[in-house]
Amino acid sequence: MKHSDLHECSQLNEMKVDMAMMNVISAWHLAGNNILVEQMPIIGGYCGGVEETAICDIATTIASFALLNADIHLGGPIHVRWGTTTNRQSLQVAAHTAMALDTNTDLLLGNQYYAMAGPCTVMNLLETAAQAICDTASGRELLSGVASAKGVVKNKVSAMEARMMGEASMAACGMDISDANNIIDRILGEYEVNYYNPPKGKTFQECYDLDNIQPTDEYLDVYENALSKLSDCGIDF
Amino acid sequence: MTARRYVDVFEAYNRFIDGEHISESDWDYTIIPNNASLMKKRYDIKFGSNILPEDQDLVDRLFVAGIDMLITTGIYNINTGTRMKISEDEIYEGLKMAPKTLRLGEGKDMVECFQRRGNSINKPIIEGGPTGAPVSEDIYATVIESYAQEPVVDTIVSGVLESVKGHHSVKNTPWEVRATLGELNYVHNALYEAGRPGMAI
Repeated sequence: MKHSDLHECSQLNEMKVDMAMMNVISAWHLAGNNILVEQMPIIGGYCGGVEETAICDIATTIASFALLNADIHLGGPIHVRWGTTTNRQSLQVAAHTAMALDTNTDLLLGNQYYAMAGPCTVMNLLETAAQAICDTASGRELLSGVASAKGVVKNKVSAMEARMMGEASMAACGMDISDANNIIDRILGEYEVNYYNPPKGKTFQECYDLDNIQPTDEYLDVYENALSKLSDCGIDF
Repeated sequence: MTARRYVDVFEAYNRFIDGEHISESDWDYTIIPNNASLMKKRYDIKFGSNILPEDQDLVDRLFVAGIDMLITTGIYNINTGTRMKISEDEIYEGLKMAPKTLRLGEGKDMVECFQRRGNSINKPIIEGGPTGAPVSEDIYATVIESYAQEPVVDTIVSGVLESVKGHHSVKNTPWEVRATLGELNYVHNALYEAGRPGMAI
């Protein structure tokens, strides 16, 4: 790896570390490598509810910089029941945490994406867009994703989800916070109703032509459909 | 009290060695929930229905609650079975060490990650990839190349190589090491094929 790559390791839930991560950090620090420390606090886990989780998230983020030599912290509040970062509570914790840190420090903050629905589904793209708008409006500096189908099903990922993450983020840059709240609320309303039966989506091999590495016509149609729904929710790009 | 210097990972280790012994279950089930609940009450933290907070006073109280949580609770090391403490002054010395700008990647593929300060018109860095999701070896490089060829993607986050040479990459085994190096090899080849060899990963 290059010095300029992001050398990533993770704290443990909650406010815990182990020697393995401290050992790699010591080497990376002395070598002058970029260091990214990650931690995904669990809403409904050891911390408690959304407010308690945000308090722990801020403490954890500060610890990355104040005693673990991080250059950037990657968050990702995850819901104990849903296993995603795109649900309403996760977005609320991520937004409050980011804005508390952004308005009181100069720290570089990232967030990662775990969507419930699989690739090549409108729900997945709406989940991704909602979080991208939330993270961008709350001042984060890096968006990392997308682990579709909760990041646990083999090959259920594709670059079209990352395209949505980037395009929704660019559309949200400079947006008023109240406007962002209204838009996110409308998008959430579109996909929250599917939590008990989310679309499983398709594998990468089904989403892309593997010979020329291009998305299928079906996925392009799904993407257009998602853009239309996002327009109905108040955001165009 | 004025800090002597910031706490780095080496000083953190020293403090864990000299730190208070606590059982991990006490940490998880008593100390963390009790202190988080205490901070919520102490700083009157209530979110309401907004996803993004519109009350700056709440945002500032939440920040102080997080700082207090770290000072009061410390950090636990599961291997030493101890916690280390850090003072408020040491925290702020550490925050001064954090970079305001980070250069990611090399050459024409290098991007700068810098403080956006609120919802500025400057877009965040877009790190595209499977984000730790499992990907099979036969399509690994192709999957990464699909992200690298997206114009909106600035850097790559890799997935987990599900197996290497037919062997599962079991934790703490030589196959885990081989899978990690295999991942890097596939990613580098994919970036080359996409014409963005200097992209950060």
